Amino acid sequence: MGEIRSIASRYWSVDRVLKRTGTPGWAAKAAHLLVLLSIGAELVVCAPAIGSAQQQTFEPREEEPEEFPDLPGREDTFYFCTACHNFKLVAQQGMSRARWDGTLDFMTERHGMPKLEGKQREAILDYLEKAFPESAAPGGWQNPFLKR
Amino acid sequence: MSGRIGKIERSIEELYRNDPERADAVVFGRKDGPSRRGFLGGAGLAAFGAAVGGAIPFSQNMPAGLVPAALAQDKPAAPAAPKGPVHLDFPGKDKGLVVIGEKPLVAETPEHLLNDDTTPVEKFYIRNNGQIPDEAKEPEKWTVKIEGEVNKPLEISLGELKSKYKAQTLRMVLECGGNGRSFFTPRASGNQWTNGGAGCAEWTGVRLADVLKTAGVKPSGIYTAHYAADLHLSGDASKLPLSRGVRMPKAMEPESMIVWAMNGKPLPNIHGGPVRLIFPGWAGSASQKWLTRIVIRDKEHDGPGMTGTSYRLTIKPMVPGEKADPKNFKILESMPVRSVITAPANGTKLAAGTRDVALRGASWAGDLSVQRVDISLDYGQSWQAAKLEKPKNKFDWQRWTANLKLPSDGYFEIWSRATDSKGTMQPHVAPNWNPSGYGGNPFHRIAVLVG
Repeated sequence: MGEIRSIASRYWSVDRVLKRTGTPGWAAKAAHLLVLLSIGAELVVCAPAIGSAQQQTFEPREEEPEEFPDLPGREDTFYFCTACHNFKLVAQQGMSRARWDGTLDFMTERHGMPKLEGKQREAILDYLEKAFPESAAPGGWQNPFLKR
Repeated sequence: MSGRIGKIERSIEELYRNDPERADAVVFGRKDGPSRRGFLGGAGLAAFGAAVGGAIPFSQNMPAGLVPAALAQDKPAAPAAPKGPVHLDFPGKDKGLVVIGEKPLVAETPEHLLNDDTTPVEKFYIRNNGQIPDEAKEPEKWTVKIEGEVNKPLEISLGELKSKYKAQTLRMVLECGGNGRSFFTPRASGNQWTNGGAGCAEWTGVRLADVLKTAGVKPSGIYTAHYAADLHLSGDASKLPLSRGVRMPKAMEPESMIVWAMNGKPLPNIHGGPVRLIFPGWAGSASQKWLTRIVIRDKEHDGPGMTGTSYRLTIKPMVPGEKADPKNFKILESMPVRSVITAPANGTKLAAGTRDVALRGASWAGDLSVQRVDISLDYGQSWQAAKLEKPKNKFDWQRWTANLKLPSDGYFEIWSRATDSKGTMQPHVAPNWNPSGYGGNPFHRIAVLVG
């Protein structure tokens, strides 16, 4: 069951990206060609078990990286984090680089996120620090009459 | 895995849709690696890079089965991020609830929707740590195990719980441990709750103490550990989304319950049905949803959500925003005193000349009761006492009312401040900063515009 759900959770991200694909561009067409060359007329045994997997009454809204601050590292950070949770959870935070660094450790220790190291860790921290800094607009009470 | 045989694939999209892992293997020679995310590497990487016309940074971290964004050219423009609060669209739930996160699903109840004496299920906040399980098809056969430091381990069905034990119904507050987190400066990490991670419902079930008596807790049993049916967000069945527990004295309190009904109806799946725990007054995460097992332990439970800075407060106050010393933390148990103004709603416009405003609200204080609620119209320079009602039973919230006289037209802020039975008041700002933002209980504040 866990395996099926694991696959189901992957489908979510695949479906999401497929929706973004729209009409295949040159790159998608190249990849398409690659598929045809690779598989020829190979028969397919696929896994349509998805219908029997988890039926949720709630579909998370499909987030897109473009909704978030356009800074280097956005796509990598977005897809890395959304393997498990929505990016809104990230974007509602505002932290110093040191606290973002600690948060990556927390995600690895508490939730089994693959450990990020070296240049990859630095690049994701660069994005998080600049896109969602400690100085981000404070949360909490918002004046309902203030036109922003 | 059953499968269709003899179908020829027609496109990369179809291939990925049908079997992403196989698609990776076919297209890019990519195999799901030792990590569940299945990172891209080796010869497949070159093929991948060639297909998208460049090197792919972080390729080894690319989740298996994910069509890379670079392949998704000519895509339709991304929708703009929603502006302002996102309202919940969930069967049986009020559309006024505000979504804090969608995966996991977390939604809070704006203060003005806490205006009912008993919070209806439709308006009750939602907190999940993992995936939402499928609804149980045969709820009466749902079982809960009691094991660990007990003389007689048990497995009991919901049907047996109902027939063998005396049921009770109590109206009690359930409150998320992180309620009020958004009021911390600098921002504390986690779901940014305002005051809406709380509600007060009628819970029907049995005393946990009665069930534990049947099992016979050994003298060595000092702590509970709760386990549930929900899966970790990653879908990995070997990981627990959350497993918390309480000290034995809390477990034995007459109001600590195994419940199956909420406001007189079977406990909805989204609230942990068919069976959940309720430990009123304490951080809601102890009140495990979709309860399957309670293990009695001979030491403080150390499941996910019990350690580090999760559901913990500082022992010695720390500098806000600085690096936390994990040794300086103790478990958050009772929630702090809080009040909310439930009418009028924040942002209400009143007709010019309005001078009388009738206020309604609620207040509660974790394990304690509320001794008074005060209201200010002048930013805390002066306060007037509200009329405070008594709770129906222990852990019920206390409703309050007040009549305010406005001196003129214009912009006014109305603040509420509750004082608990030990004399502790809500503070002006969220106190005792901690990195995950627990214990944030400043005054509630609304603004109204007259004329």
